[in-house]
Amino acid sequence: VSARRLRAVIPALIPLVVVTAIAELAARYGLVKGYLVPAPSAVLRAMIESRGELAGALLTTSASALTGFLLSTIIGIGIAVFLSSSRAIQRAFYPYAVFFQTVPIIAIAPLLVIWFGYGSRTVIASAFVVSIFPVIANTLSGILSTEPALRDLFRLYGASTPVTLWKLRFPSALPQILTGLRVASGLAVIGAIVGEFIGGQGLGSVVDVARTQQRVDKVFAAVLLASVLGLALFGLINLLSYATLRRWHQSEQQ
Amino acid sequence: MNRRHFVIASSMAFLGSCGKSQKMRLALNWKPDPQFGGFYAAPYQEHGLDVEILPGGAGTPTIQMVGAGSAEFGVVSADELVVARSHGNDVVALFAVFQTNPQGIMVHASRNLRSLSDVLQSGGTLALQRGLPYARLLEKKYGFSKVKVVPSPGGDISAFLADKNFAQQCFIMSEPLTARHMGADVQVFPVAEIGYNPYTTVLATSGDFLRKDLERAQAMVAAVREGWRRYVDNAEPVNQRMNKMNPSMPLDVFAEVASAQKSLIETDETRRNGLGSMTNERWQTLIAQLRDLGDIPKSLSADECFRTLSAAPL
Repeated sequence: VSARRLRAVIPALIPLVVVTAIAELAARYGLVKGYLVPAPSAVLRAMIESRGELAGALLTTSASALTGFLLSTIIGIGIAVFLSSSRAIQRAFYPYAVFFQTVPIIAIAPLLVIWFGYGSRTVIASAFVVSIFPVIANTLSGILSTEPALRDLFRLYGASTPVTLWKLRFPSALPQILTGLRVASGLAVIGAIVGEFIGGQGLGSVVDVARTQQRVDKVFAAVLLASVLGLALFGLINLLSYATLRRWHQSEQQ
Repeated sequence: MNRRHFVIASSMAFLGSCGKSQKMRLALNWKPDPQFGGFYAAPYQEHGLDVEILPGGAGTPTIQMVGAGSAEFGVVSADELVVARSHGNDVVALFAVFQTNPQGIMVHASRNLRSLSDVLQSGGTLALQRGLPYARLLEKKYGFSKVKVVPSPGGDISAFLADKNFAQQCFIMSEPLTARHMGADVQVFPVAEIGYNPYTTVLATSGDFLRKDLERAQAMVAAVREGWRRYVDNAEPVNQRMNKMNPSMPLDVFAEVASAQKSLIETDETRRNGLGSMTNERWQTLIAQLRDLGDIPKSLSADECFRTLSAAPL
C-alpha cells in the first residue's frame, strides 16, 4: 500500500474508530443499555456467531438490490429520454414519475406480494420502485441542460435527433446521471430490505426475526452489512464515474 | 433564572414528583381494541392515579419502552418478557389479561385439516413471523419442509382470501372474524393446543419502578383489575369510546370480539385468585420451553418474572 493511498483512507477511518470506541465505552460503563443499543463488540460477536446465515442473507440481498438498481438505471434513463423529447410530454407524464418518489412502499406491500409472489421478485420490485425516481429526475435535468451553443453546432451540421442525443446530450448529462445513480444505489438497498420484510429472504428477514427475538446485536450486525452493501454499490458508481469522466469533467480531475 | 430560583424550582419539581397525581404512561402494542378494553375501563382516578394510555402500532417496542422508562407501564406478552429479562431488561409482569394464549393459525375450512400437524404436513403457504417462539416450536415439532413459510402480513388478510391453500398466523378472535365477515369459511387452530400457552396482554412495569413506587404500582393493578371486571361484565360503553379512537373497527365487531374473548380472560384459576392472576408453574413451564428453543441463553427463576401485588378476588 503506497503512502498516498494510506493518506486517502485515514481520514475516513478516524471517525469510525472514534465512534466505535465511544460506543464500546458507553456500553461497558452502562451509559446505554445493551438491550437498546448493543456494544460494538457484541455486534461483532453476533456477526461471527451467525456468519453463515448473514453471509447467505447478504448475498441474497445484494443480488436483489443490484437487480432492482440496474432495472431502475435502465428504465429510469429510458423514461428520462422519453420525457426530454418534448415539453408537452414532460407536462403530461412527469408528475406521475413523482409518484414513485412518494409511494409508501409498506402501504403497497400486500399488492406487491400478490402480483409478484413471495421471494426475490417482490424484493426486486420494491428496490426498483424506491430507487427509480432520482435516476429519472437527474437524467432529465442533465439532458435538458445541454449547452445551447453546442446544440446549435449540432443543428448547423444537420445531426439527427438520435445522433444529437447519443453524441451530445447524453455525454453532457453523464455527471448528473451519475449523481442520480449514487442516490439511487442507497435507496435500492433500503428498498430491497423493506421488500424482504414482506417478501421474505435476505438481510430484511434476518432483521425481522432478530427484532422479534429482541436480538439487537444481530439486528445491528445485519444493518451494518446492509450499509457495507450500500457502500460497495456507491464505490462501484464512483469507479464508473472515474472511468467515464476523468478525461473531460472537472469533478474527476483533482 | 438565578441560582436561588433554580434551587426553589427544582425542589418544587421534586416535591411535585412525590405527589399522587403525577402522570403515568401505559404503552399499548396496538390500536384501541377489545384486547385492551379493561385498560380503558379502569377507574384510575378512583385509585388516585393519573394514567395516560398510549396506543401503539405494529412493532411498538413496549417492552423496551418500559425498560428504558419512557413508559411506566406497558402491555407485553409473557414470552417477550422472559426473553427481555434474559437480555438484562428488568421488566416485571403484574397482571395477565389473557390466561389462554390467543395466538393461532387460521386455514380455509375447505382443506379439511384436523390439527396443527396437518397444517404443516399438507403443503400450501403459511404466513408466520419466524422470530416468534411458537413458530420455532412448530418447526421443531413438525418441520417446515412440506409448507412454504412466508413473512406474516400483520393483520392483512388479502393474501389469505385470495388463496385457498394459504394459512396465516392470527389472534383467534381477530383475523378469523374479519375473514368470516369477508365470506371466507375459516378454521382456527390455537397454538395453546400444542402446549405453548404463555400469558398474553400482560401489564408490566420495570423493576426500578417497583422499587421506587410500589404503592402506585399496587394501585395500578387494583384499578386495572376493576377495569377488566367492568369490561367483562359490560363492554358496551367502553367499546363506544374505543370505537371513536379506532373507527376502522366497526362497533359490532368490537362487541363480537369482547364476548368471544371472555373465556380466555376469566377462567377457573381467575375465579379463585382474581382476574389477571398468574402462577409460578405457568411461568416455569414457559421458561423451560424458551430455554429448550434456545430463545434464552440461560434459565431464569420464575419468581423474578412476575409479582402478585394484590390477591383480592374480584
